[in-house]
Amino acid sequence: MTRSLMTTVFLGTALLSAGPVLAQQVTLQFWDNQQTESGLSDVQKAAVERFMTENPDIRIEVTTVPYPEYQQRLLTAVQGGNAPDIATLDQIWVGAFAKAGAVSDLTEEAAAAGLSRDGFFGGAWDSAVLDGKLYGIPFNVDVWQFSYYNKALLDAAKVDPASLGTFEGLKAAAEKLTADGKFGVGLFGHKGEDTVVVGDSFIFSNGGRILNDDGSCALTEAPAVEALAYLQELSKFAPGGILNASSGDMRELFLNGSLAIEFWPALEQPTLQKSSLSWGFVNGTAPEGKTPVGTFGGWNLAVFETSAHKDAAWKFIQFMVREDVNGDVVDLIPANKKAAEAFLAKNRQEPQTIMTHLDNAKARPLSPRYLELADAQVAMFQDIYAGGKPADAAAKACDAINALD
Amino acid sequence: MRQDRRLYWLLLAPALLLMAVMLYYPMVGTVYESFHETSFLNPDPKFAGLALYRRVLADGTFAEVLVNSIVWTLGVVLLQNVFGFLAALLLNQNLPMQGALRAIVLLPFILPGVVAAILWRFMYDPQLGLVNSLLLSAGLIENSVAWLADSRMAMASVIVAAVWKGFPFSMLIYLAALQNVDRSQIEAAMLDGAGPVRRLLDVTLPAIRDVIVVNIVLTLILTFNYFDIIWVLTKGGPQSATHIFPTKIFETGFGQFRFGEAATYGVFSILVLSVLVALYAIVQGGASRRRAAA
Repeated sequence: MTRSLMTTVFLGTALLSAGPVLAQQVTLQFWDNQQTESGLSDVQKAAVERFMTENPDIRIEVTTVPYPEYQQRLLTAVQGGNAPDIATLDQIWVGAFAKAGAVSDLTEEAAAAGLSRDGFFGGAWDSAVLDGKLYGIPFNVDVWQFSYYNKALLDAAKVDPASLGTFEGLKAAAEKLTADGKFGVGLFGHKGEDTVVVGDSFIFSNGGRILNDDGSCALTEAPAVEALAYLQELSKFAPGGILNASSGDMRELFLNGSLAIEFWPALEQPTLQKSSLSWGFVNGTAPEGKTPVGTFGGWNLAVFETSAHKDAAWKFIQFMVREDVNGDVVDLIPANKKAAEAFLAKNRQEPQTIMTHLDNAKARPLSPRYLELADAQVAMFQDIYAGGKPADAAAKACDAINALD
Repeated sequence: MRQDRRLYWLLLAPALLLMAVMLYYPMVGTVYESFHETSFLNPDPKFAGLALYRRVLADGTFAEVLVNSIVWTLGVVLLQNVFGFLAALLLNQNLPMQGALRAIVLLPFILPGVVAAILWRFMYDPQLGLVNSLLLSAGLIENSVAWLADSRMAMASVIVAAVWKGFPFSMLIYLAALQNVDRSQIEAAMLDGAGPVRRLLDVTLPAIRDVIVVNIVLTLILTFNYFDIIWVLTKGGPQSATHIFPTKIFETGFGQFRFGEAATYGVFSILVLSVLVALYAIVQGGASRRRAAA
């Protein structure tokens, strides 16, 4: 009797003390996408649990959407007024979401919390800034492209891997390696963003740019056209069917030993580590004497304007990009530079080489109409891979880009 | 009588309500949006009159999409019906293991469109694909062909994949019709000395004429609206070589966030489909009248 009385008193006290917390608890909807089968969701769940333990007044409901459906789901949710509180946004979507007023300006919050460009990869931070305002916090990053090579094929053809780092060396190597049913270099030109980022990196590395400072198209400038002409030459040593080939198709050929060099971000390393191939990589390719400049890819965390709990959402974002958390919740590379160093040292070969390439990488143009701009670029790359004149292809792309208001 | 009519409407009401909400409301919304500038960046629709129509028509892609849609639809419908009919004729014979044969022929139709498309993507792979491998070993081609990456070959390639996926549908309908052909008429023709071709032309085809027409009109509508095979195989590429109305609408709306222009393409699509649906209604009406007269 005494025991049951005590139990009742104890439970009652516990409930009464928990009451205010339960009453004040807010629930946040967090949407993310999954690009790889890395089992990331489990790790993310653990991080979310940790956040909720540290912040008992906030409950996080995570929705993980497969990458191919993510954009459409998010777009529909925003249009329908059912946006989540927080979501990861592809760097190239931030401009449109910001311009549409769908995501919150985080400039003041970031400054107050001491989050600045210095703590993140510069290109990744820039991908969240539109008209001087910050619309997201970099979450994860990677860079297109690293040139992965098959050591056995290069040895057999007596090609020095270091030579792949220059335009001249890569072309000579690709020519030498294209023989006996094997291909030198894996170019791809399907309708996909991987076509754009790889093409951009050749343009960047040759000193070119996509847009001028005033937002007009810069693809007709000599460095860009030269880079296109170079890619066209290089395509002679690539497997046929470039116009419908993706980076994934090239990976298959690389893994079965019929392709000597493939272009992928650092994300490719876990796949290659699991294979029986002997492989290595260099940081992209540039003309002799220039530094290869890659193209940033990655995701930013954004708070949606419709969120009723923006303070709690901001708290969650700060947690996710914290040095001790960021590395545990991403499948690319943490955007927090300190977290990235630890992550790369633990998970990737030649971490310092990767850090160098990340530091040199550039973001794609942050235009609210980036997706249309990218379509014009895909058409341009398809034109040159189909044999069109690079200058004409660039002019056509610029006509389309400059027509975007 | 009045009570009966009330009951009809009561029973029809849920279906009508569902169609109104799920079908007619979005359709009217599409027409409305096609007269308004609206995009993700400017979600509040601004009346634009015919500006979007002028923009879409002035863009060279529209003509390409229209021609592609016609080639795609006619190509798939023609081949799907020819192969479907031939398969039905074959399976209508007293063949051994008929049940198993029918199941095998039906397999492509049962597969989800995306799965079938992925299968064909592998088959068409320029380096690893079965199609090139077979043609090379048979000596029909000297070098591997990039079936989906060559703008001259891409449309034909996606048509072949769609025909493979769709012909069992036509076959099923033709088979059902063939099994209903009056045997006594065929036997009478045989007694009169008619050979297999003569029996097919003079007895079987006239007997299933209505089914053939309905099948063709139905496959016209379904094929015009087809999306998944082309999207997975080529995304409408290379360039716009395989873009048809549904892929262009998806790309414009969800790929570029330009909802107004996507709606304009949608209206053109609705117009074409309306013609096809009217054709279907006329064909069905004619068939019903013939049955009533018979």
